[in-house]
Amino acid sequence: MSESALSAHQLRFSFPGRAVLRDVSFHATGGEFLALLGSNGAGKSTLMDLLAGLRTPDAGEVRLRDRPLLTIPAAERAQLLCHLPQGVRADLPFQVEQIVLMGRYAQADRWMESAADVDAVHAALARADCLALRHRHFSTLSGGERQRVLLAACLAQQARVLLMDEPSTFLDLEQQLHCFRLLKEEASAGALCIAVTHDLNLALAHCSRILVLRGNALEADMPVSEAWNRQDWMRWFSPQLRVETTASGQRWVAYR
Amino acid sequence: MNPLPEFRWIAVCAAAFVAALLLLPWVGPGPISWEAVLAKQSPDYPILVELRLSRTLLGLLVGGALALAGALFQAMLRDSLATPYTLGVSAGASLGAILALAFRLPAVLGLPATWMGALAGAALVLFLVAAVSQQQGQLSSVRLLLTGISLNGVCSAFILLIHSVAPDARSLSITHWLLGNLDSISFSALGVFALVVIVVAVHLLRNARQWNLMMVGEAWAASRGASPKQLMRTGFLCGSVLTGGAIALSGPIGFVGLVIPHIVRSRFSADYRVLLPCSFLLGGALLAAADSLGRLVIAPAELPAGALMALLGGPYLVWLVRRRF
Repeated sequence: MSESALSAHQLRFSFPGRAVLRDVSFHATGGEFLALLGSNGAGKSTLMDLLAGLRTPDAGEVRLRDRPLLTIPAAERAQLLCHLPQGVRADLPFQVEQIVLMGRYAQADRWMESAADVDAVHAALARADCLALRHRHFSTLSGGERQRVLLAACLAQQARVLLMDEPSTFLDLEQQLHCFRLLKEEASAGALCIAVTHDLNLALAHCSRILVLRGNALEADMPVSEAWNRQDWMRWFSPQLRVETTASGQRWVAYR
Repeated sequence: MNPLPEFRWIAVCAAAFVAALLLLPWVGPGPISWEAVLAKQSPDYPILVELRLSRTLLGLLVGGALALAGALFQAMLRDSLATPYTLGVSAGASLGAILALAFRLPAVLGLPATWMGALAGAALVLFLVAAVSQQQGQLSSVRLLLTGISLNGVCSAFILLIHSVAPDARSLSITHWLLGNLDSISFSALGVFALVVIVVAVHLLRNARQWNLMMVGEAWAASRGASPKQLMRTGFLCGSVLTGGAIALSGPIGFVGLVIPHIVRSRFSADYRVLLPCSFLLGGALLAAADSLGRLVIAPAELPAGALMALLGGPYLVWLVRRRF
């Protein structure tokens, strides 16, 4: 069993009076980079919460390294798996460095962090391209800067499973590419990355596998090569989408 | 500069705390002479030790406990306006204590009935506020404050009702208590309260890193490796004990829990490893100082510490709201 194998078995979840997910199953291992796609309200964030152990499914279970996720103690789970939320309060009273240092909680279960923790924080800040922001107050940052700081906190956690709920929201184009390149690097180094996104090109260019949630169910689960060829799933997002090839031979999802 | 907590702020606040402890007992309407105290002469020695010293200690402990409770509620509920006072917890504790006074309930396990009443009232209101404000597992801060204010009103109404139907003598003691007074109390009662506050404070401080995570959000805390459910449970218990205990001993005193954590957070550090000890130390020093000031301004009459804190804290709250919204 791979060090970072994560699987969902017949997951079912509903909010009071509203079914969100039914019978979602898939299996993924380290080295993969999955894009989780779906329209607004399709249940992407709920699925991510279930995969992170933040919610309890009504039926079915999530298994991490072949152990039921919810039986793994919180601190151990955080060493293995990290969840990037869609956002946090913007008016947090902390400095950027203090937020990223929080990512070290599971790695250094002591009352005080060590110098090694501070080094890890600086390394994570540099990788997420926000080292220059480290002394700023979180509340003074722009939306995109805040998103990068949260990403840095996740990197500082050094978990092998990265569950990223819309990691590229609010980011400028250059930073969106940087973020997905970073996750691809993590996957190449053996981590399992799952990212929610609405940008099909970003997903198809960087990920190895595409999952599509539609009508409460996992409607498609395919490698990127198949995703380029099938194309029917793109129409679920918009009838205006089609694949075109640029002059240099690169395929591209365009809309008209 | 690095992201680790700056402990020098704790030393600064500790200096204020110790200064308050050493200097404030000498403040009061009547002068006290050094020589008389050293010779243990009456009345100077008993005035200093039995009246003013015990009162200063009570102020330090009550102020510290209320500021700690404020800092705790702000992490639990992620709102800088969450305090024992604004959440209605103080009013709940007051109602519990007044019920105990009005019905002359007997002491339980050697502890006065007002303590038990205040504790039960604080716990009940805190539970109600949190339960009503939950929305799909998330606490909504608008709901939280509205619920707190409503419960505050309901508790105050009951207090007025009890006050008006109680016989004159008891009505007077209720009035006196409601003003938020620091009175000289026995060193044994102080000792019990000090022990409780120290145990709770040490427990909170041990989990300070988890409270930092909670300040960001429950989901954030959970996915960084903390256990929010367990933290919330102990938080409710600790918050009720701190608020209930403080209010049982001093009557309803507001604003310490709001002003102090806010000053520490914005001036010193938002890291709970610094915030908790600094809030305790500064909160204690501020309330003890307010009490001493209250003994002086309209001497020989006394302005209750609770009234003085409200006079200082009210405008501060207005200023805070103006900056925030």
